[in-house]
Amino acid sequence: MGLEIHTPYTLPVNDNVPGNDYAFCVELDGQPWFTSKGAMIAYYGNVRFEPLGQTSMPAIVAARFSSPLYSNDWVLAQGQGKLILGDRGFNINSYDLDDGNLTIRASNLLAFQPTLDLKQSIVPGFLTLLGTGKFLASSNGPVMFAEPPLRIDPEALVGWADCPSPSHHFDAGWMQNFLGAARGFLGANSRGGTPVRLHRRRDRPDPVEREGARRRSPAPAHRVANRHPRAEQSQGAPQHHRVAVAAVTPGAEPAE
Amino acid sequence: MPLELVNSKVVKSTLAPGQNVLARKGAMLYYTGDVHFIPHSMGGAASGMPSMGGVAGMAGRMMSGEHVAMMAAEGQGEVFYGHAGLYVEVIHLDGSSMLTVEADRLLVHDGYLQSSIVALTSQGGVRGAVRGAMTGQGLFTTQLTGQGSVAVLSHGGAIPLQVGPQHPQVVVDPQAYVCHIGNISVDISANVGWRDAVGRGSGEAIQLKMTGTGTVWVQASEQKF
Repeated sequence: MGLEIHTPYTLPVNDNVPGNDYAFCVELDGQPWFTSKGAMIAYYGNVRFEPLGQTSMPAIVAARFSSPLYSNDWVLAQGQGKLILGDRGFNINSYDLDDGNLTIRASNLLAFQPTLDLKQSIVPGFLTLLGTGKFLASSNGPVMFAEPPLRIDPEALVGWADCPSPSHHFDAGWMQNFLGAARGFLGANSRGGTPVRLHRRRDRPDPVEREGARRRSPAPAHRVANRHPRAEQSQGAPQHHRVAVAAVTPGAEPAE
Repeated sequence: MPLELVNSKVVKSTLAPGQNVLARKGAMLYYTGDVHFIPHSMGGAASGMPSMGGVAGMAGRMMSGEHVAMMAAEGQGEVFYGHAGLYVEVIHLDGSSMLTVEADRLLVHDGYLQSSIVALTSQGGVRGAVRGAMTGQGLFTTQLTGQGSVAVLSHGGAIPLQVGPQHPQVVVDPQAYVCHIGNISVDISANVGWRDAVGRGSGEAIQLKMTGTGTVWVQASEQKF
């Protein structure tokens, strides 16, 4: 396979750049997109990026983007052309939301169509999308979908669709054993552990986990689709809650 | 139950009652079922270094940078592991040979594998210690024996290279070295001149010579973690 040089005609419409999971091409045809600041890598055509505070479409921003905490991190991309987006070399996928609701870590949301409503989730650091439309999400590694009930490392959680009340779970047993480990550090028993490291973010252990609670009531119909085989499987079961997990979220710093 | 790769960065272990799986602390991504995690220290004192048990052994490992806290998973269910978006490689041990890996590259291994932390001085005498100090590998590595599977971390994927019998020697960049299995002796080859001292060297002054029969895994990156 030779080197392929892209042109506006060969670039895909709303799909990954061919052979590259880390770049995504969006076609702008008059309808604007909300994109996170700094996500633009390149574009063809006539595209403007307007800060949400002074856009030419204040009505759309007021109606769709209700997250004052994050409004400085977003711009409205509008015009005509092909726009290539990337995010820290992370895998990027697009998802279609069909009259659904989905909550995603703010740093993993890359772009969304203004047919979707953006709300600030009650869970800090997360945003909720409501309605029908497309959005792009980035993840460090492929996204995995899992069915609750399950427990997730909060740093690995990307988001959830339609999932009721995630909650923190603290492992009491771990803490007891941790005291044992501290005793080991002081030489009182042979088992070792370094208490100091627990306070370092990278080494945050697993006693804190996010728990996807069991579903209590029938969920409204929704659909999360993407072009990956895993997600196509899940399309067949639209009533189920799903949680998306990736190897590590952008919130966690990369390896030193 | 062997470890299974879910994708290039995530490995799944299926736990049955009575089994346990040891993993780097904090590397659990998510799990289903009834699983608990217990802090666990590497059995450095148990074998290989009888004189370095308890506090002294741990202090030595911490100083050498070889101490990565581990945890044991017990119970019944499926546990998914990954770390910092690094690539994961699963290596199956058939019981006939020993896997040598640095502790910070070790993600998960079956609990019934024997693990020991070995001082490089016991392998190569003073040269081993010099190698550890000069390559930044530390003075200790982890050795795993028995039948089971191990998941190791690499930046961008690990490439297996065969050593022997036709190719008796492979030379490896110490920063790209991930792990090795089999009957391989590791020797440092340093060719440090004044150019390296003033930063005008080739950048490849220190190399690892692997001789014997077995497999060496390298990553196409010089990133340490």
